[in-house]
Amino acid sequence: MHYKDYVKWVRMPSTWCGGCAIGIVFKQVTFTLADMGMPRKDLVVVSGIGCSGRAAGYFNVDSVHVTHGRAIPVAEGIKRGNPKLKVLVFSGDGDLMGIGGNHLIHAARRDIDLTVVCIDNEIYGMTGGQMAPTTRRGSKTLTSLYGSTYYPINIQGIITSNPRHFYARGSAFRINHLQKCIRQALEWKGFAFVDAVSYCIENYGRRLGFKSSHEMLDKIREGYKINPDPVERLQPNELGIVKNDD
Amino acid sequence: MKRLVMGNEAVAMGALKAGMTFFAAYPITPASEIMHVLAEKEGEISFVHAEDEIASIHLAIGASLAGRKALTSTSGPGMSLKQEGIGLAHMMEVPLVIVNVQRVGPSTGMPTLPAQGDLIQARHGSHGDYLPIVFYPCTITECYRYTIEAFNAAEDSRSPVILLLDGYLAHLSETVDLSRIKVPIQPRRFKPLGGGHRHFTGLLEKGGIPHTKDTAYYREWYRRIKTKMLKTADNYRFCSYHEHPESDTLLIAYGIAARVISPLKARYSVFTPITMFPLLDEELQEASARHARVIVVEMNDGQYRGEVQKVLKREVESLPVLGGTIHLNEIKEKLDAL
Repeated sequence: MHYKDYVKWVRMPSTWCGGCAIGIVFKQVTFTLADMGMPRKDLVVVSGIGCSGRAAGYFNVDSVHVTHGRAIPVAEGIKRGNPKLKVLVFSGDGDLMGIGGNHLIHAARRDIDLTVVCIDNEIYGMTGGQMAPTTRRGSKTLTSLYGSTYYPINIQGIITSNPRHFYARGSAFRINHLQKCIRQALEWKGFAFVDAVSYCIENYGRRLGFKSSHEMLDKIREGYKINPDPVERLQPNELGIVKNDD
Repeated sequence: MKRLVMGNEAVAMGALKAGMTFFAAYPITPASEIMHVLAEKEGEISFVHAEDEIASIHLAIGASLAGRKALTSTSGPGMSLKQEGIGLAHMMEVPLVIVNVQRVGPSTGMPTLPAQGDLIQARHGSHGDYLPIVFYPCTITECYRYTIEAFNAAEDSRSPVILLLDGYLAHLSETVDLSRIKVPIQPRRFKPLGGGHRHFTGLLEKGGIPHTKDTAYYREWYRRIKTKMLKTADNYRFCSYHEHPESDTLLIAYGIAARVISPLKARYSVFTPITMFPLLDEELQEASARHARVIVVEMNDGQYRGEVQKVLKREVESLPVLGGTIHLNEIKEKLDAL
């Protein structure tokens, strides 16, 4: 299989802005699927609302694009309805951790066999650039005009608080590592969460003073290093995989 | 074989008979017994005690897309949360059945005394225009029969069908022989997820491609959905009508109110709708034609009265028995005072 087989070309060009990180992560998913030789008939992609929510329709498989925050319960229903299917959730941080946070906590607790790829760009991009659960303390957004006073969500802590867990953090810059994260997540039997560190230039980066998406990508390159060791906890500036198969 | 069956139990048995193999719900009185009965079937069916009401309807949507006949059950507070999923199921044309065992609202209201106040919510609860099919049985055998019919209507119309009950009916036990009730069962027709490149979306779409700026197409799409729903619903027009030859008054009641006023059939004509929506316009017109007065007795402040009035285009009186308790004597006194 070729990565192009997993892309629904009739839907291109995508809705994403030029230079957007979602396209990078989307492509790494299709590369990984091609590497694995994933049969298209066995795969279903589900996404929620937001820029990354549009991704489901760009996969050339049966896909479902649902309401805001509900990608995980619909995906769980599909998996339970037909356990032979491989169900991939592709959505954003606001969708999965904000409005859909409760579903994320409980699907992880029930250890449902789902792979979740989360575009973590620290902002609500589609709606114009409002503060997300992942927005850093002090960051100025449309809904935190004087800088966010809150600490961002500790999603690693939430996922890894379950005895059996899979949490990976990859970035839109380290694409080989991201592919490795996605592949291991897809091969994991149980709930696997891939936190794909991304960025949004149009509705966030611009306001932060970045001149281009390339500058944001550079910032990610500088800000994160790969930790190849099996660890119990990744530091905030580390990319890697935390898993426990107890 | 005859045995004592509770309303909620009859719903669970009807769902199993209809071929339901996926159930997700969140506990809420007075609907929980549906969960309890189906929990015993875990393994035979896929049973999920979900984290919340929103998850349970979305789980049902997912399972239905994957090829299962799916059910979720709740009461008013949970029904309010499920509205988002109901809209999604209408937009994506996903068959499923939602049971709402009504209790007094708004909000937590009077937990968990019965009421019939969620009728208009069942029709208009989710945002945007849509046409749901809604049934409301009034005996235990009907709870069983119309649960099966709800699944049939859902498969036929590819839409979420709502089955309304009230706390009284759900907890009412009657000696019945459900094995004698034979209803043909509609099989699943559309292809389950997997193996294609279809795209199901909550957006307005045409052939899997969103058309979100196309008003003309939206109008065409809505016309198709409306025609489909009305045409399907035509096969599911359920009601009962008792005509009293000397009465000039027609009483309309449904659910537990219909059971309570049943002794009044000795004095009045009584019409009991089971298909609440789409409205039984012809049946209502026919039943009311020779009656000078039409009175709707219901456990809410005239919700169905408003709908009947719209259809009949004449004055329809309301006899509200607001939630909590309902007594025949109270209704008789109010009728005499009207």
